[in-house]
This record gives sequence, C-alpha cells and structure tokens, in this order.
Amino acid sequence: MSEHPIPAERGVSNRVVFKCDLTDARTATRILRTFLAEQGLDESELFNCELCLAEACNNAVQYVADTAAQEPVIAEAICHHTGVELRVTDHTNGFELHERPATLDPQRENGRGLFIIQSLMDEVRYYRGTQRNTLVMRKSRTHQQHRPAHDAAVANLEDARRQLESCQQTISGMASDLCVRSETLAAIFRCCAELGRTSDLEGFGRRLLNDLLHLTAADWFVLRLVPVGDSRLSVFVVSEPSLHTDPLPLHAADATTSAELGAARARREVEFDARRAAARLEPLCQAGPKAVGVVHPLLFNDTLIGTIAIGRREPAPFSALQSEMIRTFTEFMAVQVINARHVEEQMHARIVAHELDIAHRIQRALLPRTLPQLAGFTLAASWESARQVGGDFYDAIMLDDHTLLLVVADVMGKGVPAAMFATIMRSLVHALVGRSRHPAKLLRRLNELLYAELSSVGMFITAQLVVVDLHRRELVAASAGHCPVIVASGDHVRPLRMAGMPLGVLPDVRYREQKVALAAPAGLLLYTDGLTEALNPAGEMFGSERLTAWLRDRFAQSMKAEALRDALVAELNGFCGGEPLRDDQAFMVLAEEAPVVAMRGRTNTATTGDFHPADVTACSRNFIFPLDPALGIQS
Amino acid sequence: MKIENEGNHLRVSDIAELNAVNASQFRDEVRAAMPQSPESIEIDLSQTRFVDSSGLGALFALYKTANTSRDGVTLRLINPRPPIQQLFELTQLHQLFEISQR
Repeated sequence: MSEHPIPAERGVSNRVVFKCDLTDARTATRILRTFLAEQGLDESELFNCELCLAEACNNAVQYVADTAAQEPVIAEAICHHTGVELRVTDHTNGFELHERPATLDPQRENGRGLFIIQSLMDEVRYYRGTQRNTLVMRKSRTHQQHRPAHDAAVANLEDARRQLESCQQTISGMASDLCVRSETLAAIFRCCAELGRTSDLEGFGRRLLNDLLHLTAADWFVLRLVPVGDSRLSVFVVSEPSLHTDPLPLHAADATTSAELGAARARREVEFDARRAAARLEPLCQAGPKAVGVVHPLLFNDTLIGTIAIGRREPAPFSALQSEMIRTFTEFMAVQVINARHVEEQMHARIVAHELDIAHRIQRALLPRTLPQLAGFTLAASWESARQVGGDFYDAIMLDDHTLLLVVADVMGKGVPAAMFATIMRSLVHALVGRSRHPAKLLRRLNELLYAELSSVGMFITAQLVVVDLHRRELVAASAGHCPVIVASGDHVRPLRMAGMPLGVLPDVRYREQKVALAAPAGLLLYTDGLTEALNPAGEMFGSERLTAWLRDRFAQSMKAEALRDALVAELNGFCGGEPLRDDQAFMVLAEEAPVVAMRGRTNTATTGDFHPADVTACSRNFIFPLDPALGIQS
Repeated sequence: MKIENEGNHLRVSDIAELNAVNASQFRDEVRAAMPQSPESIEIDLSQTRFVDSSGLGALFALYKTANTSRDGVTLRLINPRPPIQQLFELTQLHQLFEISQR
C-alpha cells in the first residue's frame, strides 16, 4: 500500500449513527448534506441527496420493528469522483423493492418517498437481513470537478490520515463484497447446470447448502421437506448427524417450540437463537448452546414444500448481503424440489400406465377364446371393462360331454394385483374340477387355497359356480357372495338367490348348494354386479328386477345365446343413454334351442316340475323335450 | 412561520423546511387558521429550502381541505425554489396545486 498511496479523490465517506427518532434523523441528513457540500456537490445534487437520505432515514424510523426500537440507525454517504453512494441501515421488517412505477398518482400518499428515491437516484438496491436491512442508493456525478471545498483542511495531516483510512476501509469492504458476489454467482451457475438432472435431489441439496455455508460463513444447516401426502416436516439433508431430528408435525398444537415450525406456519423467515429457545424442545438447539440462525420456508406458489435453517455456532448475526444470499438459495432450492417432484410424478404415471396395460392384457388372456358349444344349446358371453383393468372374469369348462361348469367371478380390487388373483383363481378352478364337480366343494377348496393371499392384501373375490348337467336336465349352483344366477326353466324365470361368503374373507367356509331342475326351454344368465348396477342418466340402477323381467320376455322368444347377448348389450347401452360405463360388466348366457316339436311340451314340464332320471336318459342328446306318457303323445 | 389572515385571504410564509418532524404541526396550524369560506389560500415557499414526502403530504392535506371547503378554493404555492418545483413535478402534485412565480 505504501508504494501506491490511494489518491485522496478516490472517495471519502461520512457515517452518522443516530437514535431511532425523526428529529435525530433530520439532524443526521443535515450533517451528511454538509459533508457532501464539502465534497463540491452542486445545489441540485445536494438537494436530491438530502431528500433521498431524509426519505430513507424517515422510513427507518417510522417502520422500525417493535423489538428494535433501541437499535441505532446508520446513515452513510460515500463520495467518489464519479458519483455518490448513500446507505441507510434500518431495523425494520423490511419491504419489497419493486420496479419504479412510470408515474405516480398525485393523490396516493403511500410509496411517495420510495418513488422519489427511485426517481432521483441512478441505482437503488435493498439488501434485506433479519431486522437489519440496508438501502443503497447510487447517483453518478455529471460534472466531476472534484473540488474539495476543504483544501485547507487536507493540510491538516491528521485529517488526511483519517480520510486515507476511511478510503482503505471502503475499498477493502468493496473488494470483499465483490469477492463474495462472484463466488455466489459461481455457486448459482454450478447449481443451474444441475437443474436438468434432478435424479439426485439429496446430493443437489447437500452441494447447494454446503456452498451456502461457505459463502455466508455459517456452520450448520438443516433442510426439511414435507413429503408428498404428508403433513410433517421431515429432515432431508443436514450438515451434521446430530441435527437429524424427528419429523415435526405441521399441525402440532404449539409451534413456538420450533423455529422451523414457526417459519413454516407463518410462511416467512424466523430467527433462531439457542439462548432464547425452549432448549429441550427446539430441535435446532442441537447446533450448539449459543447457536443462532434463520429459518426460511421453502414455498412454491402458496404451497409449503419445506424449510431451510442455517446458522452459526456463535451468536453472530448474518449481514444484509449474507441474508440476501440465503434468501436467493432458498428460492433456488424450492424450484429444484418442485422440478424433482414433477419428474417423479411423470415417472410414476408412466409406471402405473404400463402396469395397467399389463393387467389389461392378463385379463383379456384369461377369458376363454371360444366357448364350448353343445347340441341343442347355445352359449355366449360379454365382457366390458369400465377402467383399463377390470376384476371380472368368466369361464366355461366342459366336465364331460354333457356336463358344463360355468364360472363368473369378480375380484374386488384393481390393477395388476386384481389381474393376478383372477389368473390364480382361473388356474385353480381348472385344476380342481378334475377332483370334484360339486360347486360347493369347489368354492370351499378355492377359499382354502386363496384365503391367505387375499386376506393379506385385503382383497376378496365373489364367484358364482354353476354345474349344468344336460342329461339330467338339472343345475347345481353355489355362490360365494356373488349376484344370483338367473334361471329360466320353462315359463319360470327367476334369480336363484343363495347366501355365501366371498372368497378370502374367512379361512374356513362351507358353501351350500342348490339344485334346480331345468324344464325346456331352459336358460341361464350369470353376470357380475356391473350389469344390475348400471346407471341411467337419471341415476337409476338397471336392477335385478328389470333384468329378470327383460329375460322373461326374451327367453320366451327362444332366442339363441348370441342374439340374446347382443340384445342385452344393446338394452344396457340404451338404458345408460350414452353414459360411460361406471363399473365392469361381464355376463354369460346359456340358451336352449327350442325345436318346433318340443313347443307343445313346454307347459307340461312347467306343471310337472321335476324330471325323472328315467325320462332324462330316455331323451335324446338333442334335448328334445321328454314327453310325458300321460299326455298320450309318444316320442 | 408566519400566518396572515386578512378578510378571507389566508397567507402563510416564512417556512424554512417542511419535513417529517414539522409537517403535521404545519398542517394543523394552517388548518386551524383557515377561514370558514376562504377566498384564497397562498403558501409562500420562497424561504423554504427543504421539502420531503411528509411535507408534500401536509401540502396535499391542505389542498384537500381547501378544495372541499364551502367555496372550493385551490391551494396557491408561491415561488418554490427550483429543486422543490422539480419535486412537485416529479410527484405530479403540480397538477393539483396552483404554482406561481412572482
């Protein structure tokens, strides 16, 4: 320094520290005006500087925070040969410095002072700290005849030395300021480069906050996030393990025990001081007995994402510049968390879509490609899925040349798990029919085999099993909580209501069987509840009564199963009146063909009721109706 | 500060500063001196070397009082110094006051 003495005209400063009071503020601005006059500013410049200082000092006094009324206000003027810098450090809660409006409404009183400052100065910046903010106002000088009015005074060696010291201080302050700013920029650039790569949010948070520790000369930090769907602030990254404390419930009755909760609730920065905290309860006290710091909420729009707490072990508050950096980094972190969450959501949506696609294909594959066709009968089925994946399925298995097992089931649940259970159920049915052809026994065994898996995931299956023996012209049915099979036997069409526990609810269940004789023409409809629960635009259900009545008409017309199926699908579509399917719909219909010769016998069977085994064996494979000898008509 | 009241003509002069410290007192004193139906209100700013936003606020308050008085007179400001004249222009208050140089 001694080799390159700083020329006196590089800049001089004057600093006035005053009590938080309007009269003192006025005195301070007068002192600084006098100082600036000594530096050779002209009348207009002096008026403007005095005015801006007065506005800033008055604001500092009038808006001082309740707790800081004892703190002094600092006003400073620094005069360089190219311009003037004015600084006022206040202890208010700070304000938002917006762009200067183009014009001012003369009627509006608010904001006039700030408008004046922004109009008269070339550059205005506001550095916010915690109840310590600095307004920096700069004005360049147009005519720069730096004419120290106190040439004589400079002769005073003591004065000159003081001025030199002051200059050196100013310059070294500016240099360190510059250094920190360039480091901040570098850190922000580094983080920007990472913005696209969001896979490692934890690593990103750690690097960002370690940079911030370094830049603000802080010792510790705690980043907490509110996990999606949670209402607690959970530790995400910390500077040291001791700060890794329990999650904080956001709805806790008392938020005063934690600065982090306080900041999260109030949505604004909150100061922390271990010496004043309720030490046993305040998690940040882990940072040390004398630790101080600030907590900023991480916000995105109005949503709280988390908090960042940062501080020092020793009670030294952050400067305005450091506070500004913390604020910037906090905003940066919030953006990054939101980015990472969006990416995660997209990934999740893709996985779910893929899973549903798989489940849908499994489901489709379950359904029999072709249905067995029997002489004298037709069998048809329909399956429609409301969602991408339904839990409904049906099956038809020939047990021998005249016995048919019909299965309709509904797995309660959705997605891949439902499809998996449907697959297992179908395989089990196929495996078990070799051993038993009693629906009740089959259901009991199915329940035994499926109970553990189903109950462990809280799912269950309703199923209807019907064994139709075409030689004996009878059916045997059992139900596991499923909607009833509708049986047409001659003129009678009625639902076969049976009690039965769904599969997977209780470990050991015995099912009951019901045997029904089938007079000609016989018909069956097995279905899932999506059919009867279909809604019309008025919100009415299709209902089992409507279904039974509809079937009564159709079975009487001796329609083939395919035609009946198509008619039922059309009926349902008509009923829903274009409303989208609310639930899955599956049904299977068995219909007997009614040859003309058999027509006369119909009433007969209906009245006689049951068949005699002898009659059944006597009747041909064509299921032409067995004629009662009492009628005097021989086949 | 000097307040003269002749007939219904109010004239205020000899004002050194209008700042945050004295603005409300200035406003209240002038208001108190204001006649029921003023014919003119003049504020002489020729001696005034400093006005800040509180001072502007006080002038604006007087303007409103004068304007809403029975006969609705306007506030006349006399001989403001150039920086203060510029301040009125900057804050658009020159549209409301009648400013005259004599």
